[in-house]
Amino acid sequence: MSDAAGEVRAAAARLREAGALLRRRPARETLSALARLLERWRDPTSPARLALERELPLAAGFSPAVVREGLSVALAEWTGDALLALVARELGGPAALDAAQPTMASPFDLTATLLAGALPAPALLALVAPLALRSPLLARPSSHDPVTARVVARDLAEIDAGLAACLEIVSFPADDAAALDAFVSADCVVATGGDATVASVAARVRPPRRFVGYGHRVSVALLGPEALRGEVLQQAARGLALDVALWDQLGCLSPVSVLVAAEGDGATPVAEALAQALREIERRLPRGRVDVAAKALLASERGAAEMRAAAGRPVAVLGATGEPFCVVREEDAAPRPAPLHRFVRVCPVAPGDLVRALTPLAPQLAGVALAGFGPRTPALGRALADLGASRICRPGRLQAPPLAWRHDGQGVVTPLVRLADFELD
Amino acid sequence: MTPGPADAAAALRSGGDPARADLDARVLAWIAEWRAALASGGAAPAADDARFDGLARELFAFQVARCAPWARYCAVRGATPERIASWREIPPVPAAAFKELALRSFPAERERHVFRTSGTSSERRGELHLDTLALYEASVVPSFVAYVMPELASDALREAAGARGAAPRFALRVLAPTPEEAPDSSLSHMFGELRRALAPQLDATTSGFDVRMGVLQIEPLLAALERATRDAVAVALCGTAFAFVHLVDALAARGARLALPAGSRVFETGGFKGRSRELPRDALYGAIEGALGVPSARIVNQYGMTELASQFHDSVLRFPGTPRRKLGPPWARVRIVDPLTGEDVASGEVGVIVIVDLASTGSVCAIQTADLGRALGDGFEVLGRAEGAEARGCSIAADEMLAGEARA
Repeated sequence: MSDAAGEVRAAAARLREAGALLRRRPARETLSALARLLERWRDPTSPARLALERELPLAAGFSPAVVREGLSVALAEWTGDALLALVARELGGPAALDAAQPTMASPFDLTATLLAGALPAPALLALVAPLALRSPLLARPSSHDPVTARVVARDLAEIDAGLAACLEIVSFPADDAAALDAFVSADCVVATGGDATVASVAARVRPPRRFVGYGHRVSVALLGPEALRGEVLQQAARGLALDVALWDQLGCLSPVSVLVAAEGDGATPVAEALAQALREIERRLPRGRVDVAAKALLASERGAAEMRAAAGRPVAVLGATGEPFCVVREEDAAPRPAPLHRFVRVCPVAPGDLVRALTPLAPQLAGVALAGFGPRTPALGRALADLGASRICRPGRLQAPPLAWRHDGQGVVTPLVRLADFELD
Repeated sequence: MTPGPADAAAALRSGGDPARADLDARVLAWIAEWRAALASGGAAPAADDARFDGLARELFAFQVARCAPWARYCAVRGATPERIASWREIPPVPAAAFKELALRSFPAERERHVFRTSGTSSERRGELHLDTLALYEASVVPSFVAYVMPELASDALREAAGARGAAPRFALRVLAPTPEEAPDSSLSHMFGELRRALAPQLDATTSGFDVRMGVLQIEPLLAALERATRDAVAVALCGTAFAFVHLVDALAARGARLALPAGSRVFETGGFKGRSRELPRDALYGAIEGALGVPSARIVNQYGMTELASQFHDSVLRFPGTPRRKLGPPWARVRIVDPLTGEDVASGEVGVIVIVDLASTGSVCAIQTADLGRALGDGFEVLGRAEGAEARGCSIAADEMLAGEARA
């Protein structure tokens, strides 16, 4: 057994003991402590927020302005009340967690969560959710964000020492199979990551242990005929630029392409407006660090688009080589690689082909920003939900998901509990 | 090495374009010279910078005059044949462009063959359009012999590789489909050409292909390997990385371990492409050594691209005891560049790999990969291939657990 595996097992043992103590306390008390944590995080001057602004740019590569603005946008509605409302919506209220009632939710004795990506808000929620259910949590932070989990743990210790004892942060190398096996021996295992990672972890979790997987996701924007000119277009472009610029397009709610449904050439003005909006937002929210592997993909896709343009295809590349963004006015909506880091494809689609054009993305579809469809909007929203989208909103709101957003089409806390129906009077 | 039917005369006839015929002939002559140098056992000719530069610039001028998209792409960058001062200034075509464009430097009606990159049905596949296979085939054999079977090249190389006596016979066992089954696979075509060109040195009863209808045929393969072991015929076991994972797993499932005869070696290429579990290269080599008895020092990785005619190979068999690095033939060169500026990075720094291959006369000779590399001595090392690019939607697809350190 590796040293890391031993540490993981020891942490798990401590957490099981701390969890037993926690479950003797009323569920409402735990929720109240976590509500205070969320309220603290909403304050941009709180120690937690200042620590993230200071440390996350170094670790994850975001500019400080992106961290500041990204957290403000993401946490604006993540209030303490929102947490209580989430529990009420999914479980009927805190009583479901500790009273005898028709629907009862029991926490797992231990939850283990593999965090992924570099965005702090999803990490915060992934840490808060099991604790809200009074399940102690073993968390392995992502290599891209070693900061958030540590800051949460520190903040929690100030608010509620007993609850803080129910959160342990562990780290072990990706190829340490013994440590991973120790980690996934928890009663409930949550894995976020690429599809191969999720599948690999799922294969190690045998029933009756619970596995909850969140694979890789992609988001897009759809613009209809009423958003293709004038102030409506400018507003949509500014909104999309914000959706793209926040977290440098590295989140699952970051749009990688904009589909423009129009009879004529609607894609060109949208691409131009978006390029201008990205150029302007760079002054306020500068793009962060781009590693050489990402640069290689950016250069490859940009160059390939330039070659298609040179071949006479109706393709245009907007944004000079040195500018920290790239917009490609595409010839069609065929799926193409997404290099991220503020690289957006604007794709023309015949109005009747919108849903069909999105079908290849359906298995990974997360958020859709929608504008300009007038009275067709509800029907389109329905079709997108049927396709697999779990969130449909207007441009500029993609990076502000509600706390209760049904990530991956699942509930936030429901997958993390065992539910029971009590049928006696 | 026996000359193939696709020789210089065939190339001269193929295009009907005198300028092309002249370029083909000069590249073929260079290939022949290198081959002769290898066979004579003399030291490889010194790198001929002037020859490479002159031919590269002539080829660039020839190709941009016939491949309009590349000409316009270069013109936007201010790079015309008249304005560039060195082969290093030739703007490379991004490899991704081969997925959407047929980049030919010959009339479309003369097209004779198309090689396609591997990939799933939902992915676009890169295509290399060819009017002749002459240079491709001429380039493949000496490179393979030089770096994978140096014992066959000459007595001198044989001694350098630690062998003695007459040129040995090998079992060439290929974990890939035959060229007849996979006519658009450049890898299968390469192995088919090697089988033909090296026939006199191969043991006919133990050589063969082991993938049928996309499935590795374990039983016939194991039977052939056991026969080779019994007869003490050294095996050159060749295939894709994922095929080796399947083989290793199949052996593990049988509780079997092989000890291939002395002199055996493994040639692996390509990535995993979602067709098997993925293993870091060290782990793959460890698994191969454990399952087949072939040590890491006798495992050669080929770095090649469907879009090019020439390949690069690990140096371990040609120059044993020296650091593992990728080396290529003299008519193909590599630059390590900053991906955004296209400028050469400082020696030892990581950049993307640009390949200029003078044997790619029918297409474009300069390609920018999305693969990361670093110069190492007289060669380079490949630090990461960009095969996952297609599936990316958000950053977590960079795979925290399996390959998470790539972005760290």
